[in-house]
Amino acid sequence: MPTTDPILISDLTLGYGTHTVLDGLSLAVPAGSITALLGGNGAGKSTTLSALLGFARARTGTITVCGIDPAADPDEARRLIAYLPENVALYDHLSAFENADYLLALSGERPKRGTIEDALSAAGLQDRAWHRRLGGFSKGMRQKVAIAVALLRQVPVLLLDEPTSGLDPRATADFNALLAEVRARGTAVLMVTHDLLSAADIADRIAFLEAGRVEHEVAASGEERFDVRKLHARFQLGAGRLAA
Amino acid sequence: MSTAWLIARDELRMMVRNRLAMIGMGLLLLLTLTAVVSAWAHQRGIAELRARHAQAAEAAFDAQPDRHPHRMVHYGTFIFRPLGPLAAFDPGVDAFTGNSMFLEGHRQNTANFGDVRQSSLLIRFGQLTPAFVLQVIAPLLLIFLGYGVLARETEQGTLRVLMLQGARRWQVVGGKLLALGLVALIAGAPAMIGLVAMARQPGALTLPMLAIAAGYAAYLALWTILIVVVSGFVRRGRDALLALTALWTVSTILLPRAAADLASAAVPLANRLQSDVAIARDLRAMGDSHNPDDPHFAAFKQSVLDRHGVSRVEDLPLNYKGIVAIEGERMTSSLFNRYAAASHAAQARQNAYVDRIGLLSPAIALRSLSMAAAGTDLEGHRRFLDQAEAYRYALVQRLNAMQAQAVRFADDTATDADADRRKRVSASHWQAAPDFRFVAPDGATLAGAALPGLAVVLGWLVLALAALGLVTRRLGARR
Repeated sequence: MPTTDPILISDLTLGYGTHTVLDGLSLAVPAGSITALLGGNGAGKSTTLSALLGFARARTGTITVCGIDPAADPDEARRLIAYLPENVALYDHLSAFENADYLLALSGERPKRGTIEDALSAAGLQDRAWHRRLGGFSKGMRQKVAIAVALLRQVPVLLLDEPTSGLDPRATADFNALLAEVRARGTAVLMVTHDLLSAADIADRIAFLEAGRVEHEVAASGEERFDVRKLHARFQLGAGRLAA
Repeated sequence: MSTAWLIARDELRMMVRNRLAMIGMGLLLLLTLTAVVSAWAHQRGIAELRARHAQAAEAAFDAQPDRHPHRMVHYGTFIFRPLGPLAAFDPGVDAFTGNSMFLEGHRQNTANFGDVRQSSLLIRFGQLTPAFVLQVIAPLLLIFLGYGVLARETEQGTLRVLMLQGARRWQVVGGKLLALGLVALIAGAPAMIGLVAMARQPGALTLPMLAIAAGYAAYLALWTILIVVVSGFVRRGRDALLALTALWTVSTILLPRAAADLASAAVPLANRLQSDVAIARDLRAMGDSHNPDDPHFAAFKQSVLDRHGVSRVEDLPLNYKGIVAIEGERMTSSLFNRYAAASHAAQARQNAYVDRIGLLSPAIALRSLSMAAAGTDLEGHRRFLDQAEAYRYALVQRLNAMQAQAVRFADDTATDADADRRKRVSASHWQAAPDFRFVAPDGATLAGAALPGLAVVLGWLVLALAALGLVTRRLGARR
């Protein structure tokens, strides 16, 4: 029986006005795998996520989330996606626990109190902060709450936009461990990042986005997984092209 | 629990955790309760006072000794406009139009002693009544509590978070609407409970009460929807607050006052002095019954003599002075009625002008609805004036007829020492005269008068719902 990859983008062209952002992008993220999407500023990484979330409409090409076109049925597509944005937006009048409880309830999930607390703990948020309102939280602490919410969503697709940007190295390592658990339960993870080391550490595939299309894609192999030196050179080359 | 209810619950939770919002809500509830209690006490006090004064005036009239009937015509009597129970909710123009009248022969007096003449200038800026609180203060509180319901979510990026959790646009808007609607319900509840309590008093009518309840519910629903529409239309909370405050200022403060000024300018009313001068001039032109050369009264006298087949007034079977008094009263009343009708017509044109401007402001339409249903609008005042004039005319003509029938012409014109005694009639005559009883319109009439205002508010509600549909469709779209 043929199966479709949860994230499938084929020859996608997308832009705003006369400006073309994605120009023939093709990408597939199989279930139970993590793909890191790397690229310089303006390469189209966040636009790719917007298209998957149904916030941007393609000019040509196809894009599906578990077989659903997000542009045609954004609400249904979003039910299948957990998304962690770069700039986490949460409710300051709610505690970390209440934020998680509220947002999960909206997505139709009602995990037990202990499950939420476990997720907050697993995301690296100290227990004394669980029931404090977010008004005084740092960016990193907010990021951890958002990570807990994203991980608690029992969905087939997880989209991450610079997920480790507010985290310290230890929290980043913890986060990567969590991602491995998510992958193990069959979730397709697409991670947009500048963090080459983190990508090399956790991703199964790394795609380099340049000028709106995937110019180069490498898969992990063997014990070493990736040659970070080569990746770095590749990343520099791509960023250089974009800058030029 | 539905998604919309979850969103509503969170919005309410945020309001509850906002100290300023809670203080504002508490103040509104306190203000409304104070308005209900004080307006009710004020209305009951006024109603009792007027009933007491009316009784005293009737007793004083009845207690007059045996007298010449024409002296009773000039003695006159005071009548008072009774207030219906719903006047406690919306006293309307009662404070401004006056509520007591002195009824006497030969003239129509205006109603006197409106509360506004006995109170501080502050009353001109709006009395603290449940109607005023709901018309003016409640929308302002709803604005302060609700301006950010959608704009804040857009501004802080949480709108996208909601949608990414699977909340659909209509669920987000529905949840916000539900939360603000509940706040509006809480804000309006004390006044509505007060209205029901008022409507349980003797003499209260169900249909007008229902019209008032429907009007205010539609008005608060309208503001709730408008707040959500504006909040969803702009991207920043402060823009929503600015736009809504401007909307409130124009529709509830400026337009109602401007409408009255514009109506006065478009349809000027003659002032008291102008009317008095014009009436005096017309009275002079009408004729003088004491002047034997007056053409009208000379012809009238001849027609009376011819009708009875006599040549001298002394030979008439009735007292000619009484007959002349009846004719004189008929003529002056007809003149006064003409001036009154012209004044009422001008006021009606002014009202129609205000009603047209009311299409632009739901607050004007609601005020008109509320006063009409409570029976405290200008039409209610006119009803009192019409009934007062009908009573005055009947009373004076009854006394004039008494003079014509019960006092002999010879005695009436006599000047001897005993003449005064012979001119008197028994006090039982004025004791038998009916007292003034204001006949309030029935419930269907009052509710019917409220329908145009209700239609305007409902029309606004439909427009607001259409705007809400547009805002819902473009909610969260990249702009």
